[in-house]
Amino acid sequence: MTSTVRVATDVGGTFTDLVYFETDDETGRQSIRTAKVDTTPPNFEKGVLTVLAKGKVDVSSVAFFAHGTTVVINALAERKGVKTALITTEGFRDVLEIARGNRPDFFNLMYEKPKPFVPRHLRRETPGRMNYRGEVTAPLNLSGLPAVLDDFRAESVEAIAICLLHAYANPAHEQALAAEVRRLWPEVSVVASHQITREWREYERTNTTVLSAYVQPIAEGYLDSLERGLAGLGNRGQLYIMQSNCGVDSLAATKAIPITMVESGPASGFWGAAELGRIIGEPNVLALDIGGTTAKCSLIEGGHVRIMTDYWIERSRLSSGYPVMVPVVDVVEIGNGGGSIAWIDDFGKLHVGPQSAGALPGPAAYGRGGGEATTTDANIALGRINKNYFFGGEIKADMDAVEAALGRIAQKLGVSAIEAARGIVRIANNNMINALKLVSINRGYDPRDFTLVAFGGGGAMHAGALAAELGVKKVVIPRAAPVFSAWGMMMSDLRRDYFVTRLIETDGVESLAVAAALTGLIEEVALRARAQFAAETIPAERVKLTPFVKCRYQNQEHSVEVALDYGPIETKTLADLIARFHAIYEREYTYRLDAPVEIVGLHLVASAEVGKLRLAPVPKTGASLESARKGRRQVDYALEGAHEADIFNSERLEPGMSFMGPAVVEDPATTVIVHPGQSASVDAYGNIHIENAQ
Amino acid sequence: MQPITDPVTFDIIQNSLEAIADEMFAAMRKTAMSAIIYEVLDLGTGITDADGEIAASGAGIPAFIGVLDKAVKAILRKHNQGGIAPGDVFAVNDPYAGGVTHLNDIVLAMPVFVDSALVAWTATIAHFNDVGGMVPGSMSTDAYEIFQEGIRIPAIKIIEAGTPNQTVIDVMTVNSRLPAFLKGDLWSGIAAVRIGERRLLELVQKYGRATFLSAIRHFMDYGEQVSLKALEGLPKGRFELAEEQDDGAIYKVAIEITDKTFVVDLTENPDQVRGPTNASRDGVIICAQMAFKAFSAARGAANGGSFRPLQVITRPGSIFDPVEPAAIGFYFEVEVRVFDLMLRCLAPHMPNLLPAGGFASICGTVIGGPHPDTGRHYTIVEPQLGGWGAMRGRDGNSAIFSGFHGETFNCPAEVAEARYGLAVDRMMLNPEQGGEGRWRGGKGIEVDYRVRADGNFMTVGYTRTRIPPWGLAGGADGTTNYVEVVRSTGKRERYSLASGVIVNKGDVIRIVTGNGGGYGDPRERDPEAVLGDIHSGYLTPGRAEQVYGVRAESRGSGLR
Repeated sequence: MTSTVRVATDVGGTFTDLVYFETDDETGRQSIRTAKVDTTPPNFEKGVLTVLAKGKVDVSSVAFFAHGTTVVINALAERKGVKTALITTEGFRDVLEIARGNRPDFFNLMYEKPKPFVPRHLRRETPGRMNYRGEVTAPLNLSGLPAVLDDFRAESVEAIAICLLHAYANPAHEQALAAEVRRLWPEVSVVASHQITREWREYERTNTTVLSAYVQPIAEGYLDSLERGLAGLGNRGQLYIMQSNCGVDSLAATKAIPITMVESGPASGFWGAAELGRIIGEPNVLALDIGGTTAKCSLIEGGHVRIMTDYWIERSRLSSGYPVMVPVVDVVEIGNGGGSIAWIDDFGKLHVGPQSAGALPGPAAYGRGGGEATTTDANIALGRINKNYFFGGEIKADMDAVEAALGRIAQKLGVSAIEAARGIVRIANNNMINALKLVSINRGYDPRDFTLVAFGGGGAMHAGALAAELGVKKVVIPRAAPVFSAWGMMMSDLRRDYFVTRLIETDGVESLAVAAALTGLIEEVALRARAQFAAETIPAERVKLTPFVKCRYQNQEHSVEVALDYGPIETKTLADLIARFHAIYEREYTYRLDAPVEIVGLHLVASAEVGKLRLAPVPKTGASLESARKGRRQVDYALEGAHEADIFNSERLEPGMSFMGPAVVEDPATTVIVHPGQSASVDAYGNIHIENAQ
Repeated sequence: MQPITDPVTFDIIQNSLEAIADEMFAAMRKTAMSAIIYEVLDLGTGITDADGEIAASGAGIPAFIGVLDKAVKAILRKHNQGGIAPGDVFAVNDPYAGGVTHLNDIVLAMPVFVDSALVAWTATIAHFNDVGGMVPGSMSTDAYEIFQEGIRIPAIKIIEAGTPNQTVIDVMTVNSRLPAFLKGDLWSGIAAVRIGERRLLELVQKYGRATFLSAIRHFMDYGEQVSLKALEGLPKGRFELAEEQDDGAIYKVAIEITDKTFVVDLTENPDQVRGPTNASRDGVIICAQMAFKAFSAARGAANGGSFRPLQVITRPGSIFDPVEPAAIGFYFEVEVRVFDLMLRCLAPHMPNLLPAGGFASICGTVIGGPHPDTGRHYTIVEPQLGGWGAMRGRDGNSAIFSGFHGETFNCPAEVAEARYGLAVDRMMLNPEQGGEGRWRGGKGIEVDYRVRADGNFMTVGYTRTRIPPWGLAGGADGTTNYVEVVRSTGKRERYSLASGVIVNKGDVIRIVTGNGGGYGDPRERDPEAVLGDIHSGYLTPGRAEQVYGVRAESRGSGLR
């Protein structure tokens, strides 16, 4: 009997997850195993090897190995990258420090602007200049470079970022400069902006290049250790690394530009939600991932995730943060997870998050000295989480600590502990509602047209209430909800998103010249994409290309993406493109103009399947619903009050089973809350569908 | 429906109001035609209650948020005889009719009706590139009557029960030198107030009118409580300051703080001027509101209730309360001065709440003309970044917009070169020396725009061009703001308040903004920090020895 084994491991902030799929090549029958261990900073690869052992994975049998890691975002958040220097265009070394000058915390005159990742004495300049059309207006002069590199050596610099003005339009100067740096100092890590992005805005591009250089040796070291560790276990399969654009990329490409991993965790979960939607026939999905410290959401329309390049780290209402101009799935993230702390301000108002109790001390219920009430504690007090089945019974919930913590909140609010717990759940839900609105209503989408796919440890606990509030008709809790990021990687393609700024000047776009210019742009980028795939032995015919043209009304700044079929552009295609631009624009912004439309660039998606999983249905044993029932208990649904609820064991639910709320499905790693009036059913793949009463 | 009055429901409604104001902001930002709106974000959005008290505000410019309530109140006064109907959108830009700032800023406001009762307003304000008047960009330093500054829109309906009043829109459009921009920006604002209206209706439908209204009332009371609580922590008494301005005028302020009130007295100030540097009384009140927020509760809610303890006293006919037809085109430089005056008055008494003086100017810069590559007309309307003052425990922020701005973004050089056809020769921190202290001031900027076509014009409104930013607690004063035009002949011209200056191919417009003032005696600065500043090229060795008493021989060269 031969079978194909696929493995995905996901290193998260708290846990390292494993999903293992073995597919019998003859029968197509699949077996799945999952496992979770603690994440092991700073040597994250140890946790990966441990979870593989815990899941009893024979690494030498693995055909497809996907891996996601938080190593990049961790190195950035903890400022544990290497000493980095910058070389930029003469007159512009302060761009990194000037940034954009904005101040989100706008009444606060004691605001502190974020510090640049490269101090001024390590930011150096070189003569040479391009204009916005990519024409050389002053030649590159590298005569001063040896002295600059001597200074960098004396300062123990380990990585050099290169970002020159208008390199997005013409990278020749950057290429020459990078080659010369490598020639003069082969040991130093070097990255130039054009290798990462071909979009304009010098601060964003410079900062992105600097951050990539800053984490490059760390990420490379980690990936090397992982590769060695897996090789030591006999790995012969191809190792793919999860990226922020919902695809995987090769090990070599990731080592060169590691910054593209920055948001890989949410990306794989959202991709999983999109794939799941396709499998179960729900192409329009609101994806919600609730973890320990945050909730993240994204909107998927027609099976497509939205990939953008205006991602910022550490940006909030209180800080301008740092831009990272790489393709990242459209994600709205809020500081609201299971461990988020409830607190009362000076005026008696209840808030939840963004402070989190984290893994240590964790929620009060963990009994590790956490004295503050969290969302998880409120869920336990209300009987939503089973206090006798906390973490599948692995942890004994410290109910004294829960009561004490909630009591303090209740006292300040002047209500009972149960009322306080209800308030915490409602506030937490409201925070998540607002996040879901940001990705839907704020972009012109009606949530009622979408299915809510909820995952992460806390997704299933809150999704039912959120759906009722938003008018979403159906919620789907994936079978692998607690390890869904790893599950999503199994489904990923080798994918690269190319963003290129290119103004196509025209008075009206429906002309032959514009068609030729656009065709030329698409072909130029397609050539680059195919060459990159070819270097990894993937032939052109296996590479799927999807161009998105960035259009706007003349004089506007923000553009709208319009999808095209790959192929030569004719004037008829252009007319259709413009018509669709007007329609998309009107849906998003409520009006259209008769102003000229201009093209400002291209977003080309290139992808190839590299062994992703085809999911098979879960076999039925014919067991009755009764065999999955654990009993009944009082559950407080916050808004709807307390009800006697049916309790089910997730591991015994089978396709075809259905039941009505009030009910709770208990899984060792999550809890599914079915509200009164909602109905639940299990689909052929083991996912739970929850529908609101009409 | 029985009204719900539990605090959690109230909180949820209040959060939703903030989310709606944010959504309006995002909608306008994405659809605006002018860079001043979508890039610089010279706009504000908000929701008021039926009486025009601010209930929630979106992101943007703090100086704009306090405008909307005053504009809505003016609309209410004018149209109180049943002239307000569902689907209406009102427009106002005239400060003598509720517009508050200057004629470039058009406020759009839409009433929200539930069961034929007015329950709220949604409103936006944004800077329009050109509303007519005697110069391109509408702001002229030569104007001495408001009639010279553009078309006045006195709180009228541009949309009546859902139907656009094309006559009014045509009149507005034909008066602009950039009609396509005006039209695009107008529709962008209309879209924003309409989205806000739609969302508010959904919210009221969900919770019921009574609950919605009591939630707003509750929120206002909460705002007041936050302010009163903050007043408890402030020093009490009467504080006074007189300060000389660039033009030699003396501005005076007296601030009296009690347990329950915060009174700003601006009575003793010069008469209104024959020129565009006057600020409306409403505008001056906004300055007081912002100052009050800065030292009371910078992060708490800002709504009608927050400002109940605040009173502002002005004298009609003065520069801070001019009477019609005084010109007000450069009001912003007057407002930013009076704002800074209040901060300076209180800073010595609140060392943990306020930094030393910063560059404190909008440094409003307008440049326009033909694009050398496309021939199309372009206009830049931008404020500038500058250095902020040092504060106890920390050096000042470098290169950040003034306290009047919030989520305002500068224009990237790469975008400016393509869009405007100017060459940006450099964009760097201001190398001038000054602002030293135990903690030093932040650095301003120096930007060179090289003009590539003949017949461009420049208008600038800068203050703190002679009197530098103030040091605090023994810190040194910072450096001044100015614009220098370096002609292709090499001749240099210095400007601070000017309009219609012609610049031609090869001329360089050099924008220099101030370094902020220092905090504390420079001799107490950590010598390592001094050496670090030398190493980074922020400080010259000579200046270090002179001001800090630190000799720099041990560290690197600080070469570029």
